[in-house]
Amino acid sequence: MGKQKPRSALLAELRVLDLAGPAGLYCTKQLADLGADVIKIEPPGGDPVRNIGPFYHDEVHPEKSLYWFHFNTSKKSVTLNIESPEGKKIFKKLAKGADIIVETFRPGYLDSIGLGYPALKKINPGLIMTSITPFGRTGPYKDFKASDLIGLAMGGLLFICGWEDEPPSRVGGSQAYNITSVHACAATLIALYHRDMTGEGQRVDVSMQQCVAHSLQWVTQMYDLQKRIMSRSGRLGVPLQECKDGWANFIALFDWDLLVDWLKSGGGEADLDDDKFKDMDYQIRPEVRQHITEVTDAFTKSHDKRWVCEEGQKRGIIAIPCNNAKDVVENPQLLERNFFADVEHPELNDTLKYPGAPYRFAETPWKIKRRAPLVGEHNREIYGRELGLTSKQMGLLKEQGVI
Amino acid sequence: MAKTRLPMQGIRVTDFSWFGAGPYVTRLFAAYGAEVIRIESNIKIDGMRWQAPRKPGITQTYNISGMYNNFNPGKLGVTLNLNLAKGIEIARKLVSVSDVVLDNFIPGAMAKWGLTYDELVKIKPDIIVCTMPVMGITGPYMLWRGFGTTIRTVAGIDYITGNPERPPIGTGMAAFPDFTCNPYHAATAILSALHYRNKTGKGQFIELAQFESTACWTETSILDYTVNQRVQTGMRNHLSYAAPHGVYRCLAEGREVDYCAMPESEPEHRKKDERWCAIAVFTEDEWKAFCNVIGNPPWTKDEKFATFQKRKENEDELDSLIGEWTLKRSPEEVMMLMQKSGVAAGVVQDGEDLQTRDPQLKERGFYVYLDHPETGRIAHDGLTFALSATPGEIRRAPLLGEHNEFVYREVLGFSEEEVNKLITEGVLE
Repeated sequence: MGKQKPRSALLAELRVLDLAGPAGLYCTKQLADLGADVIKIEPPGGDPVRNIGPFYHDEVHPEKSLYWFHFNTSKKSVTLNIESPEGKKIFKKLAKGADIIVETFRPGYLDSIGLGYPALKKINPGLIMTSITPFGRTGPYKDFKASDLIGLAMGGLLFICGWEDEPPSRVGGSQAYNITSVHACAATLIALYHRDMTGEGQRVDVSMQQCVAHSLQWVTQMYDLQKRIMSRSGRLGVPLQECKDGWANFIALFDWDLLVDWLKSGGGEADLDDDKFKDMDYQIRPEVRQHITEVTDAFTKSHDKRWVCEEGQKRGIIAIPCNNAKDVVENPQLLERNFFADVEHPELNDTLKYPGAPYRFAETPWKIKRRAPLVGEHNREIYGRELGLTSKQMGLLKEQGVI
Repeated sequence: MAKTRLPMQGIRVTDFSWFGAGPYVTRLFAAYGAEVIRIESNIKIDGMRWQAPRKPGITQTYNISGMYNNFNPGKLGVTLNLNLAKGIEIARKLVSVSDVVLDNFIPGAMAKWGLTYDELVKIKPDIIVCTMPVMGITGPYMLWRGFGTTIRTVAGIDYITGNPERPPIGTGMAAFPDFTCNPYHAATAILSALHYRNKTGKGQFIELAQFESTACWTETSILDYTVNQRVQTGMRNHLSYAAPHGVYRCLAEGREVDYCAMPESEPEHRKKDERWCAIAVFTEDEWKAFCNVIGNPPWTKDEKFATFQKRKENEDELDSLIGEWTLKRSPEEVMMLMQKSGVAAGVVQDGEDLQTRDPQLKERGFYVYLDHPETGRIAHDGLTFALSATPGEIRRAPLLGEHNEFVYREVLGFSEEEVNKLITEGVLE
């Protein structure tokens, strides 16, 4: 195959057009941080995602959205009105030179403006077009609207989350969007592998509902095999211990003797030194759980969660701190491994600390190439240098509201 | 019928992973045509093979676990005893004809068997090796033990979930990262490495520390702290840029069902009363449409709800007023009325709703029902995306050691005599 370029980025020389809203942003972020040249196509004036907070120093401004920053690292930005005739022409030129398009418009929208997959395939047969929609491109709900919350609901994850005595509770961090984005990314890369082998591009149809419905652990099988409906379990099974400065979580199921020894060393095993607790069926009864937690709480309350977990793990017990963002940022493991990525923001005259790589490659390091783009930051580079538009032409397109 | 070539056909994966996070990676590859060889052992059984739920009233074996069978479709199952030198030799032989190797053991386990990347690259120069330790292969906590539920807690997802006035709730018993970020980040890494290998001929070593992979999934939580020194907490179902944005109780059904908080706990037999609908209103137009759907009751004109800002300020009251309206209707009715008017809404579906009622999942053919020799016809999650040129397929999961004959005879070329000798010596345990 091709000549080897040592330590070049994994996905270098791939061009991606990013027409994704929140449901697909993490898909294109991954591609960009893995080295692909991802061009975010924003409507003139800027992507509405720029209005989502929180903001840098709480200053509400489209160039200061931390949400935008987080999901658009390593990407470039051009502005383009893809509904205008001139805009369509430009978009087709970009599509001709692209390897991948990721979009989250409602089904049929791009077709209705003449930019659907069949039209683009004609000008670029190797193109991979990944369409992310709430429910997929076919079926009775294909035109239904959905956000992250609705995706969690319709995909079945919301039903099992939350306290038993409260309504189902959304998982923090827009997880339906994240889930959909990682599925879309894997799907796109499978299509890319096929293209590497055959040269053939294709259409990828990703359904947020299906992605969430594939994230449910045992929900499907509980109903299929036993006709039982999994409901919210609250903290049953994964109780939090109260510590001096927050909470920690033990899973003592398999390590009962170790736990009892530990409690004894602190003088607080109460009646837990009894083999009946080793029986899982007994141990998981709510009143038994409650009792165990009361005894262990009395012990952990006088220590901070870091001590509890370091000491517990040393003794072979699965003890884990319930970390907030500060704890994560100060976590000794993450610090020792240089997890966090410092990203320069020249306009803010500041360097911000981001979450780092989800994966580490020995041969081709992962890297945030640059901070998220400013609105239309790369218009000149893409339209001028690449497509050969003159300054005058670009000025005219700007006047017409195309770019 | 002409059979379409599956996109990952020709890729062979030697899969040492077990439980959830690792097998979920290779599940995806198997569905798209890779030959995935799951290395298991009779001596140390994959814990997933004895987990609940299992079908009642049939012989209880290691082959009937619902989760195992849903996590491992389309793979080849072999047994191999890695405690014996000959077992390790066979594992190395398998790697020498593989493209990808995966494990999710504690750091050091693969080294004990001499199966680290440094060893394997000597026998297969372009091998891609991916390891998925819980905390990482280096660092002060590298030997910490954990599960999906604890990884979620340590990585900060629990803390930003639920009611801020109570302890962080997370996703309860569900080991969320095992089925989401960790396997799909690993799949993305391996697929990217395969593309790189196509370009350069080079394989490589990939480490996916599940703690780090999950910490990437806390949205703006880390930046909000490093930039604004703000520690984000749960907000129940509220969202800073939408209102109303919540989950509302709907009309109970008269029919009785069994609810279950944990797979092994006694079910609660009661009316199907856990009926909820989620509603999300972002724009002023959607708010107007929403008010129309609920019949513009006088409270919608109240000063308290006149602007987005006001609705945020009085959101709890807003939620309870909406709840009065939804309580008289089924969640399906609420969803249909809202969607017809362009308001995002969805039934909070339970396992029964997903499998027996949802017309969308039915039309898309999401659930795949396949016959299994020991547990009969069972449901599997299907594909989450459709590739127009290269479809995937779900085939049932292997019985323990089901493909020993095929893999040891056909793939590795041992004679029948040699295989019998391996069996006698306990190598295939």
